[in-house]
Amino acid sequence: MRLEANNLTKAYHTQEVVNIEKVTFGSAGLEGLIGPNGAGKSTLMGLLTRRITPSSGTMKLHIEDKTHPLNPFHSHQVARIGLIKTNQRIQGFDSLTIRDSLRLAATPARAEGFKSLFSGQRDSEEVEEKVARLVEAFPFADRNGYAMSGGEKKLLDILRCLIAEPKLLLMDEPTAGLPEDITRSVMDMVREKVQAGAMRVVVVEHDLPLIWEYCEYVHFLSEGSILFEGAPEEVKANRVVAEKYMGV
Amino acid sequence: MDYLIFSVSLMLVYIGLAQLLHIQFGLAGIPNFGVVGFWGIGLYGTGVLYVKAGVPLLPAMAMASLLATALAYVLARLVLQRNGQAILAATLAFATIVSTLVVSEKDLTGGVQGLGTIRFPFSDLEQRNLIFMIMLLIVVCALIWISAKLRDSRLGRQLVAIRDNEELAASLGKNTAATKRWVFAITCGLMGLLGGMSAPLHQFLVPYQLSPSLTFAVWIALVLGGKGHNLGAIVGVFVTFGLFDILIETYAPVPAEQAILLPNFKLFCYGVLLVMIIMFRPLGILGVDKPKVRSSTTTPPRELSNASVEKG
Ligand SMILES: Nc1ncnc2c1ncn2[C@@H]1O[C@H](COP(=O)(O)OP(=O)(O)OP(=O)(O)O)[C@@H](O)[C@H]1O
Ligand SMILES: [Mg+2]
Repeated sequence: MRLEANNLTKAYHTQEVVNIEKVTFGSAGLEGLIGPNGAGKSTLMGLLTRRITPSSGTMKLHIEDKTHPLNPFHSHQVARIGLIKTNQRIQGFDSLTIRDSLRLAATPARAEGFKSLFSGQRDSEEVEEKVARLVEAFPFADRNGYAMSGGEKKLLDILRCLIAEPKLLLMDEPTAGLPEDITRSVMDMVREKVQAGAMRVVVVEHDLPLIWEYCEYVHFLSEGSILFEGAPEEVKANRVVAEKYMGV
Repeated sequence: MDYLIFSVSLMLVYIGLAQLLHIQFGLAGIPNFGVVGFWGIGLYGTGVLYVKAGVPLLPAMAMASLLATALAYVLARLVLQRNGQAILAATLAFATIVSTLVVSEKDLTGGVQGLGTIRFPFSDLEQRNLIFMIMLLIVVCALIWISAKLRDSRLGRQLVAIRDNEELAASLGKNTAATKRWVFAITCGLMGLLGGMSAPLHQFLVPYQLSPSLTFAVWIALVLGGKGHNLGAIVGVFVTFGLFDILIETYAPVPAEQAILLPNFKLFCYGVLLVMIIMFRPLGILGVDKPKVRSSTTTPPRELSNASVEKG
């Protein structure tokens, strides 16, 4: 699996917020993407999932011997080939319960056509089981109701992505707004799936200890460009990273 | 009696339209302000095919609804991915274009002089209007049933997700644009069918019937009844059209000289009702209903809680 971007740029008006010559994600199981506020991390993830249109450059996803050029895709097509991202800012479906939200994400689009009006049971046992497993694994205040707090919404956003079973998952600041223990169990669950070979993951985080603990490879983004890449130890020891980010 | 049958038939058309609008706006979040346009395509399409081209009534209705579907699809392609205001303006403009064309294309539509006569099917039976009312009743019941099915289905859930957060739904792999387009096209086609079925009710078609007041009446009814409730359309039409146009206009002992004021009084009441509802019950009389889904076996928690802890 390889998600590759070449000469990728994104400018808002005249301000260039992403300008990357070349970057590759997905070679390792769990990768980190770090960088100061405003470095362009979220923008890069938005570009890769085609939620944001690039100003120039190409993006490709190599997956199971197939190469998908991402530029001509719409965001739903990107998701369908297995590239999904969680959101930094809280997003959700206000009129769907926690379970319905997860069922929605677990249901492939082909099962949601007009024919679904006449199928006796709305969701298959398989979907129900997956949903139940996730809902019970986390301390939602009302498991049969709606996500209430910001934390629950944030968690639900991540779980929606997990239940959709992506091949490559981009996580934009999964810890922001979540209590420490929940973050841990989410990340453990993610790592477990990665180790089982079910998916690969890129995590954007400001929580560096978490990055060092979980990631095998780390990319450092600053002012829109990748300035350094390497194993966690190398990144930790790198002067540029230290200067630009850790304020040493 | 005939007048009552006519009124009830008309009310059924309103209920059907409001029900379709419930799908479009209540479920999918598409603000269609061109209801009368799609209904009008069905009405005049049927009229023109029947009167000018000699097509039998039922095929004429079917063809006119297909035309409404096709036009709605094209309109959807053009504007549905834009914001709500743009959709509102575009659909309103569409309805205006339809009514303008009906006035200007005199050769086809008869222009302001009108187009007629469109007869009921089974025109040699005495009870033809009653039979037709029953046909309308069947169509409207089917619409209500289908929209309940839709609410409880996976597609309906996707529509609600699109209404709530389209970008998020797309990022989960839902082709939101196509879903909206098809739902819009089909429901507009059904509005066209109701238009076609209105043709024999009116018998004689005049452009005045295409005024936006139909759109507004349907919207008011839906908002009063509850846009997010499957039965909101029925309740809404009962408290507006049913109450005023049928009960009061027909049965209230209003002296003749005051009778001309009735329509204004009606609009006044609609306005007051609407303001009250928006202030005190913004979701409408019935509120919002939840999908009724056969509760699937709640999987016992035992195998669930350890799933996250297990290490691969
Ligand atoms: N829609 C937009 N219009 C204009 N500027 C934008 C837009 N989105 C992002 N930016 C700018 O692009 C830059 C990068 O933003 P981005 O959100 O990608 O940063 P980030 O690395 O994710 O930061 P953080 O760590 O705070 O989440 C910022 O300077 C931001 O102000
Ligand atoms: Mg960000």
